[in-house]
Amino acid sequence: MNHLPQAWGRPRDDVYGAYDGSYLQTHGPNQHTQQPIVTGTSVVALKFSDGVVIAADNLASYGSLARFTDVKRLRKFADSSIVGFGGDVSDMQYLDRLLNSLDIEEAYSSSGHTLNAKNLHTYLSKVFYKRRSDFNPLWNQVLVAGLDDDKKPFLASADLLGTTFSAPSLATGFGAHLAQPLLRKVAPDEIAASKLSKEQALAAVKESMKVLFYRDARSLDKYSIAIVTAEGIDLKEDEKLENQSWAFADQIRGYGTQVN
Amino acid sequence: MTSIGTGYDLTNSVFSPDGRNFQVEYAVKAVENGGTSIGIRCKDGVVLAVEKVISSKLLKPGANKRIATIDRHMGAVSSGLVPDGRHFVSRARDEAASWRKVYKTPITTADMASRMGGYLQAYTLYSSVRPFGITAIVGGWDSELELPVDGQVGNGPSIGSGGKVEGKKYGGPGLYMIEPSGLYWGYYGAATGKGRQTAKAELEKLDLAAGKLSLEDGVKEAARIIYVAHADNKDKEFELEMTWISSLDGPTKGRHEEVPKEILEEAERLAKKALEGDDDEEETKEDDKPAEEDKMEE
Amino acid sequence: MFRNNYDNDSVTFSPQGRIFQVEYASEAVKQGSVVVGIVSKTHAVLVALKRNAEELSSYQKKIIAIDEHLGLSLAGLASDARVLSNFMKQQSLSSRLTYGRAIPLERLVSSIGDRAQTNTQHYGKRPYGVGLLVAGVDETGPHLFEFQPSGMTQEMVACAIGARSQMARTYLERNLEAFADCGREELVKHGLRALKESLAQDKELTVENCSVGVVGVKGEGMKRIEAFKLYDGAEVRQWVDLVADGTEGAEGTEGMEVDL
Repeated sequence: MNHLPQAWGRPRDDVYGAYDGSYLQTHGPNQHTQQPIVTGTSVVALKFSDGVVIAADNLASYGSLARFTDVKRLRKFADSSIVGFGGDVSDMQYLDRLLNSLDIEEAYSSSGHTLNAKNLHTYLSKVFYKRRSDFNPLWNQVLVAGLDDDKKPFLASADLLGTTFSAPSLATGFGAHLAQPLLRKVAPDEIAASKLSKEQALAAVKESMKVLFYRDARSLDKYSIAIVTAEGIDLKEDEKLENQSWAFADQIRGYGTQVN
Repeated sequence: MTSIGTGYDLTNSVFSPDGRNFQVEYAVKAVENGGTSIGIRCKDGVVLAVEKVISSKLLKPGANKRIATIDRHMGAVSSGLVPDGRHFVSRARDEAASWRKVYKTPITTADMASRMGGYLQAYTLYSSVRPFGITAIVGGWDSELELPVDGQVGNGPSIGSGGKVEGKKYGGPGLYMIEPSGLYWGYYGAATGKGRQTAKAELEKLDLAAGKLSLEDGVKEAARIIYVAHADNKDKEFELEMTWISSLDGPTKGRHEEVPKEILEEAERLAKKALEGDDDEEETKEDDKPAEEDKMEE
Repeated sequence: MFRNNYDNDSVTFSPQGRIFQVEYASEAVKQGSVVVGIVSKTHAVLVALKRNAEELSSYQKKIIAIDEHLGLSLAGLASDARVLSNFMKQQSLSSRLTYGRAIPLERLVSSIGDRAQTNTQHYGKRPYGVGLLVAGVDETGPHLFEFQPSGMTQEMVACAIGARSQMARTYLERNLEAFADCGREELVKHGLRALKESLAQDKELTVENCSVGVVGVKGEGMKRIEAFKLYDGAEVRQWVDLVADGTEGAEGTEGMEVDL
């Protein structure tokens, strides 16, 4: 070891040869985040008559490694909205702190002004867009669930590019492929969603979480689920998938020891 | 003030031959004309209260709050120049936010007092600025439990953090008063503004050092003390504004909030009743006679 | 020489703890022509008396629209008001862009209060020489704020600032109870009558020298608002004629409260 910090904790030059420090070089283009590192998978959400149900599992993966198994990816805002995070977990933590400071600022005056889910979604989309325009994206896709200006259920997505999207049901990541068709069957349009009961919505979202656990190799059977209504937020962060059946599994080519 | 007119009192940051900074002393004068503010450090929380003198009938009743939230768990009230009080609060909020950014945890009341003491002191150092025309009372509740770090989304090993002394109590109520000079002390009961002497005398009777007064009783005492302190200034109407911060298992769950309307009204009712009881032992003080009416002060 | 030694700049306290430069700045407000503001449960109105430098010149602008939901009127240095109103327009627009929300009035007014305070604490700056009445609506209904050169901002039920405004304030205090339940028309009339109280003896209200600004809510919250509208010239005839001398019967408050 020598006095140079860049050599600390690295293989000895005399044993392993000179260290390849090429990636430390400062010339060439400035590079920010090129990929997410520790990631959360799908977030699924569905509107119903007087609110939104939203869910995400409690796993943070490091590549294919199930690295952290108690990560809460549904974050509360001002006791009136939920932001569900997919993608990079450290970026999620940054955004969580950002929203925390925003919430503190909003609470300075007790005059009854609050940012609703719609305002929050607008804000997050601007943050994402600013960062991607700086070529320094926050590697997330988020779903914002809550109420809009008219106290009607609100659900929208924002992602690392600053793209925004709204629909009666939404899902990020793998869920966009697997859960979305299931949710659309229950709520094909806004009118159908506005007729759903809380129980129906809850059942559909739980079913989606189960299917995602069956087919998404980066998912977990422990998950968080929240119901957002005008009455407030009912957030449960330690749920377990129920009534799993893997009977379908041996029909799948490549499952277990089966080879063809 | 024998040295008035000798020229040493015209510029901030200048010492007089006998070692005084007159501009800071004059700033204190602005405080002494302002409406009374008090804070009480109870065993399970802190109360802040202020006497808002009503300068015009056209003011919207109940609006124009004077006690500000600095962070979720902390509030501040000041006497003196109201806009200077807003400057103080704005800086305190920045300090609280930057503390959170660096340490990922809420600032303690003691650290806030230290930061703001330093800030006010800096405004006595230069001839290019004037000192703050306020004395501020900062009250807060430092969490007695280990809080999650800001941005924490899960838990590591269940062992928790090390370096803890077994059985030691952490957190609790905090109350500090910061003067225009930047000087600050921690208090059991603090008072500033026009009625400070009366208020201090009342606070001393409470034996706050014993640590027995409950927050619930503290609210009633605070209301009463503001009413008693106002008795010297009876010709002007006033509004009472009160906020509190309780322990995590108390009514505000460690947050700085307005005292709910029902509790405030009950405290005011009791205060008026107590005042009627001892109307005779009133004494008038003539030494802090206010200067000409200044709209900046309340 | 100087009247006293303590009034040369805004960083010097007098032995009584006063700042004379700030007090002198509020004298500049009293040089401006009078403006009046009143709020009811549904509306906030501004009424202003315009001055012209000479017979053939135009009249000075007294009311400025800031955003859809608010406007202000000024008394004092018009150019200082323009600096402040431009700043308010920026703040207001930025709130709409980042959150999709009309900025709460209290926050906007505090932001100019904080700016003005800075001018009273640093050498080389001067206090703003203008007073403002800011009227608007937000989620919590209609509001009226007064801004002073000291940086003091206060929410009012009614207010008048500018030359001879004490007469108008007396009128407002006398009719204070009536304002809350007034509709927009009654509120404007009250404003004009208050304005009339402050007129110099040889002056009267005309369509040339009057400006009116109105903003209101049509229902709960911010959903439907009556956007801030500025009335000038011929547009104010409808009200000016109503309060003209002789049309209102006996002079005095008893007669005034009859129509509603």
